Amino acid sequence: MKDVFVVGDHIISPLGIGSQVNVEQITAGNTAIRRVDDQQLCAHPFFAALIDDSQWDGEIENTQRYTRLEKLFILSLQALIDQYRIPLDRRTLVLLSTTKGNVSLLHSPMGRTFPKERVHLAVMADEIQRYFGLENRIITISNACISGSLAISVARQLLQGNDYERALVVGGDEISKFIVSGFDAFQALADEPCRPFDRDRNGLNLGEAIAAMYLSKSPTDGAINVSGTSSYNDANHISGPSRTGEGLYQSIRAALIEAGEPTVDFISAHGTATPYNDEMEAIALQRCKLSDIPLHSLKGYYGHTLGASGLLETILGIHALKNNLLIPSIGFEHQGTTQRLNIIKKNTPQLLNTFLKTASGFGGCNIASVFKKI
Amino acid sequence: MDMHTYHIQSYCIIRERSIHMDGVTVLKTEALTTLNDFLKSAYRQLGIDYPKFYKMDALCKAVFIAVELMARKAGPIKPDTALIFSNYSSSHLSDEKHAMDLFSADNPMASPATFVYTLPNIAMGEISIRHKLHSENVFFIFDSYLPEFLVPYNDSVLDNQKTENIISGWAEVGEQGCDLFLYLIGKSGKTPHTVAYLKTLYHNEHE
Repeated sequence: MKDVFVVGDHIISPLGIGSQVNVEQITAGNTAIRRVDDQQLCAHPFFAALIDDSQWDGEIENTQRYTRLEKLFILSLQALIDQYRIPLDRRTLVLLSTTKGNVSLLHSPMGRTFPKERVHLAVMADEIQRYFGLENRIITISNACISGSLAISVARQLLQGNDYERALVVGGDEISKFIVSGFDAFQALADEPCRPFDRDRNGLNLGEAIAAMYLSKSPTDGAINVSGTSSYNDANHISGPSRTGEGLYQSIRAALIEAGEPTVDFISAHGTATPYNDEMEAIALQRCKLSDIPLHSLKGYYGHTLGASGLLETILGIHALKNNLLIPSIGFEHQGTTQRLNIIKKNTPQLLNTFLKTASGFGGCNIASVFKKI
Repeated sequence: MDMHTYHIQSYCIIRERSIHMDGVTVLKTEALTTLNDFLKSAYRQLGIDYPKFYKMDALCKAVFIAVELMARKAGPIKPDTALIFSNYSSSHLSDEKHAMDLFSADNPMASPATFVYTLPNIAMGEISIRHKLHSENVFFIFDSYLPEFLVPYNDSVLDNQKTENIISGWAEVGEQGCDLFLYLIGKSGKTPHTVAYLKTLYHNEHE
């Protein structure tokens, strides 16, 4: 099967614009999570990581034509295209991962400035396609919290065929009342900065980020091989993780087998910091005999960035590989899962070759992906 | 390289107030009912027994009935059958409901029972539970049914030999009603899995 490589990336997050800035911020131990007191988002204060619009607004042509999220997608794609001089011809595919797109327009005063159809993901994707004058239609994926990782996997699958040479995969969601109220109704929001895998974890924080990745069949210096991806449903519950971690277990096993059973140097877990999710992951990893592998969740820095999370965390994992530096999981103090995990507690220089990224989401979906230096 | 030998083993179309299996009308009503009422009445008339059905939103209900009928026709769905769906409206009907709850003037209150259905892939989760499918799920969003994308994509998934079967197609349930066309793809069968055949099947009952 043809190899597919990650040859470039870009991040827009509350910690800054550009992947390098983000890597510097998190290795300095900075978190984007703040107490948010905004009646437009939630009746009570909550903790979240939101992109400050003063960081970037106004950097786009015909700015009033696009929604906030569209502008962020455009900026991220443009940065990637400029930085790597990516030709936008018919051999280039763009994939977009989002859970809710422009849903903030629905029944909100902001919505009145845009046509009603604009809440539809396909319409949003068309706007972005037109902005860049792309020859191929944007492939949009909406598959809950695994969307970002799944989009990488789908892009790889498409590149392994003969039609395309390269792909840009961009993922993102914006935090709106629609989303906050839903997670709040599920009692899934933490009342403090989240603590993935910790004994005292009590829920997740929502976060905003746009993460974009450039995949190619032609490796460049420092390219990373996407050497295995696999996704399995739990077939257990639509909103709760499996108690046995079955789908995640199967995903990890199949991804590692596809990658040739490499030694995994670290794991970038999903680690939302809800009690059930983290417990499920610990069980699945134990079943895979991976409990001793150094592991982090990056949710303590960015919160749960939904459609961006798989991409964002993979990009940061790739930088960790390249820098030979294990990135700590912040918010963790005490073992808090029935199966012990080897949580990374401080920046640790170490020769790194391979990491495993996992994600799980509503609907019982799970995904595991293996990334290797070449 | 393009000699894919995959076939459509069974297909279901749900449109307006009618359900068709492999080209045969299974259920049709002229009555002016809501989509939800039509799907509930179909559930009863088809003799399905799965009480969780009533909790589902219209997208999940329609998908559920289609896959239920396919399983009756083609035999139990194999546990590694991948689910590769697409639509235009994502989970728009549930999104609307959640937003209405949220911005209601009298009693703004979000309901977890509604919120969980504000993701299109929940429909794939529901049928994974029902048919015990441990497999890959992907939900694509397009302007319209796009066999030009789905056929080569599904062929490549099957070529990888991770699975021998896929349920794929178009599961559009939105403000314009229901336009569902789902099919089971596998090795054996009479109808070739090609863009041309799928277009014919999709458009034949599109009147």
